Amino acid sequence: MKAIFKITRHLLDETKAQLERPHPFAGERVAFLLCRVGLLDDGGLIVLSHSLHDIADGDYIDDQSVGAMMGSGAIRKALQVAYNRQASMFHVHLHSHRGKPRFSHIDEKETARFVPDFWNVQSDLPHGALVLSEDSACGKCWIPGREAPVEISRFAVVGTPTRKL
Amino acid sequence: MKEAVRRELNLDRQSFLGKDSASVLDGTRVAIVGLGGGGSHIAQQLGHLGVGEFVLVDPDVVEDTNLNRLVGATQQDVHSGATKAFVAARVILGVNSSARTWIEASRWQTCATALRSCDVIFGCVDSVGERQQLETAARRYLTPYIDIGMDVHQLNEQFSIGGQAALSLPGGPCLRCMGIIENRALALEAQAYGAAGGRPQVIWPNGLLASLAVGFFVQLITPWRKKPHFPVLLEYDGDAQTVSPSNKLRYLKEGACQHFADLSTVGDPFWASKDLQHPVASGAGS
Repeated sequence: MKAIFKITRHLLDETKAQLERPHPFAGERVAFLLCRVGLLDDGGLIVLSHSLHDIADGDYIDDQSVGAMMGSGAIRKALQVAYNRQASMFHVHLHSHRGKPRFSHIDEKETARFVPDFWNVQSDLPHGALVLSEDSACGKCWIPGREAPVEISRFAVVGTPTRKL
Repeated sequence: MKEAVRRELNLDRQSFLGKDSASVLDGTRVAIVGLGGGGSHIAQQLGHLGVGEFVLVDPDVVEDTNLNRLVGATQQDVHSGATKAFVAARVILGVNSSARTWIEASRWQTCATALRSCDVIFGCVDSVGERQQLETAARRYLTPYIDIGMDVHQLNEQFSIGGQAALSLPGGPCLRCMGIIENRALALEAQAYGAAGGRPQVIWPNGLLASLAVGFFVQLITPWRKKPHFPVLLEYDGDAQTVSPSNKLRYLKEGACQHFADLSTVGDPFWASKDLQHPVASGAGS
């Protein structure tokens, strides 16, 4: 199944700026993109991001074995946002290099653990995880009723210029 | 760009658009809604540019009154009852046989899902109401919308030609901000469009406005300057033969749009994930 992810250049810039800020103790930052979704004519999925939910400094756990570890408060607040705003939630973090990023082994394990939790508050919406690089992105999307996540096949940045990542 | 495309369409003369511009254009999917006087010019130019995927939407067939301005249409098309969308596809494929075209000989509202995966939508429709609906649909799926419109008015004993080309980007000013869509115009739409008889249209203003629209498109997709900065509303005075950036946006806060300010209204208004399991049939491919 085809899955397209769209984001405005303004929101992408805002997201990267947030993720690039140094944290008092965590090696990197994470956030969530709030999205809504649509059906494509071939039965595929289009994910449309519209705003950013940042993780407060105090909601990280000091765990030097990983780049960033969210505490239970971070997950609880994100679940609340998903519930209140009827949003598809996409976890996002940044790899500081150019070219196509990949999920690390820990990324794979952790996202598979917590992303499906969003079905507890928005059971019929897809949710997912993204990795951004300086000029590209990769992502996965968990679809209700499907066990394995779907790879996002196309990232489109809308603005000046309008580009595929 | 694929080698097969390179043989069909040599784009060396536009390589200043970027070293990857040929592959970017080949990978770009556009919809052109309305393939009459304006849309047929846009289809032709995008075909020459090397755009790879087209959704061509127009329910009308070619009539003899269209031949004064419909690029690519022939007397034979009038006799055979060819659709305008078919003529546009033929023009595109005549230049770039590797282009992928989807012909939708229907109103765009009946094939709106085909527009959702497009990178850019061109609107070349006649009515203000239709523009409003099409722009709203484009905004809902975060799709840049480029609109052109031309009008002939009778003033006293003479006629005047005017028009505009506008770029409506998600987050930026919309057609209402630009004054193209306004309640008074919607109300007047019940009356005749233009005042010189049935929908007066001529080829040269259509061609000029289409070129401005394609200019917006290239600035978006393969800009030739590092930080493109350009007015999103251009006004055409056909009597003076001038094109000028509109003053209408001068006093708006940059990027601010009150009409589509809430981006959380994007996406399908009604969603059921079970629909993903049952693909919806798309339009005919070619």
